[in-house]
Amino acid sequence: MKSKLVILLTSGLVYLGVACSHNNAQVIKPEELFKVPANFPKPVYDFSKNPITNDGFELGKALFYDGNLSRDGTISCAECHSQSYAFTHHGHDLSHGIDNKIGIRNAPPIQNMAFQKEFFWDGGVFDLDLFSIAPIENPVEMDEKLGNVLDKLRKQEKYTTLFQKAYGSKDITTERFLKALSQFMLTLVSANSRYDKYVRKEAGGTLTSDELEGLEIFKQKCASCHSGELFTDHSYRNNGLPVYNKDDTGRMRITAAETDSYKFKVPSLRNIAVTAPYMHDGRFYSLDTVLNHYSDGVIDSKTLDAALKQNQALGIALNKDEKLKLIAFLKTLTDDEFLKNKRFAI
Amino acid sequence: MKTFSYLLIALFVAFAIVSCQKEDEINPNDKNTVTLEFDNRVGDQKLVLGTTSAKNALNEDFTVTRLNYFVSNISLKNENGTVVKFPNKYFLVKHSDPNSWLIKLEDVPAGNYNEVSYMIGVDSLKSVSDVSQRTGVLDPASYGDDNMYWSWNMGYIFFKMEGKSSAIPMNMMNMTEYQFHVGGFGGMTGKTPNNLKTITLPMTTAAQVRGSVAPQIHIINDVQKVFSGVNQVSIAKSYMTHAPEAGIPIGQNYAKSFIVDHVHNEKD
Repeated sequence: MKSKLVILLTSGLVYLGVACSHNNAQVIKPEELFKVPANFPKPVYDFSKNPITNDGFELGKALFYDGNLSRDGTISCAECHSQSYAFTHHGHDLSHGIDNKIGIRNAPPIQNMAFQKEFFWDGGVFDLDLFSIAPIENPVEMDEKLGNVLDKLRKQEKYTTLFQKAYGSKDITTERFLKALSQFMLTLVSANSRYDKYVRKEAGGTLTSDELEGLEIFKQKCASCHSGELFTDHSYRNNGLPVYNKDDTGRMRITAAETDSYKFKVPSLRNIAVTAPYMHDGRFYSLDTVLNHYSDGVIDSKTLDAALKQNQALGIALNKDEKLKLIAFLKTLTDDEFLKNKRFAI
Repeated sequence: MKTFSYLLIALFVAFAIVSCQKEDEINPNDKNTVTLEFDNRVGDQKLVLGTTSAKNALNEDFTVTRLNYFVSNISLKNENGTVVKFPNKYFLVKHSDPNSWLIKLEDVPAGNYNEVSYMIGVDSLKSVSDVSQRTGVLDPASYGDDNMYWSWNMGYIFFKMEGKSSAIPMNMMNMTEYQFHVGGFGGMTGKTPNNLKTITLPMTTAAQVRGSVAPQIHIINDVQKVFSGVNQVSIAKSYMTHAPEAGIPIGQNYAKSFIVDHVHNEKD
């Protein structure tokens, strides 16, 4: 009898526990927050330095959407990195920051960050945990000092509570702040496009014949740079754009090597259909224009990529039909589950 | 009785001699603090921020409104060639903060040290370290309006000197300040310019660390040499120096701007 009672009580407690965790629908297991997709390479990010937790993720998300990270409280990370456009700044060639100031580059998407070894169009940052200081302190982006941001957060009970939950104490330090932002960004994995389902042979993974032909053309003519399942080889290349801003020498700004002049990072093409405008300075507003550049617009220069100057012919030979099919294929890289995942929104 | 008195005197004298010798002897178990004092000057003038005015070798006038630099990887070499290192210690000398001019090295073993060496900057290992390693003067949140960290080209600004000069050409931005920001540790994923400078200075008077002697090494940094230590740096041309490559000539110059002026070995 007694043991039955114990069992009953225990199961009651277990039930209560389960019920409680069910009440809080937000709690997501770390392995759910970040998973390496089956068709992806191994992550570059060292998760042992910053294990993802639900509370760390929630803190990072709160910070990502908080204008307090900027000098006057108006610009959050999400301002230039909006979810429905794969965390880019839709409709702006160059990203607009504080006081409506304009930067020199187009805001890249925040997606699949764990798989990248360098950040920015010029790769000036090689550690995601130290990435966020750049937009915060850039005078034309958020124009705030990291120290001031931390001071502002320390005054808000919301944050002392969130830091307590995430790290076990209320201390708000540079490391905790930056790593929480990393946690949120690391969870932004986009790997459920129709293309992904096709390669993983999952339900919904059917491509039309045009899309399949587009994929074949892509493999032949684009995949030497936009390689692998992330659709980039992470290199810096000069793709023959006419120079609009002489001062923005791209990778050369970091390495100071002449051989890197006007080279920019080969971007991923995931969610490319929703991340217009294109190129480091957002000069092309449609995928048609991008392909027209590669077929007819490539300008020769000392650092032009060899792949765009084969047999003394500039650019990539593409006819109208091939372009249509390529674009049809590129649209299969749109991941609606990612773009509409409520977990990433506030 | 008399004999006893002599004996007592003799003993006393002997004791006194022994204890005198003891003071000069190096007791391997003794330790003490060595202080490096960084005394920033402009030629033969005291450096008062925003006030002291001078001319460089190109006859360009200048003042200094800010002067900051990182000191790390300090080591002391004794007369036997043994090197005592102080790893993982990073200091930021800011001329605006006299407390920062004194760098205290604790627990230095007793010995006669005749060479001091240090790096201006933050070594490459630390420059690529996890954010958890970036505390104290390496915390990017600690700089306020006097930033010592490049976020866009990840790395610390090793040396920063700013000031006014009439040599600066009239420009659209109406700048009258020169800004020399020098950094660049060589790169992590790609090779980038390296402006790390190790400075090794002999000491004609050794720093004599004893249980009762905590030496102070008085180092003079003559910022006049920042313009001309090795290369002639023109304010008119280089007034906006904000990237590793551009900072190379200035880095080569300040690598030659430090000397050990004298060493204090007074007893506590």
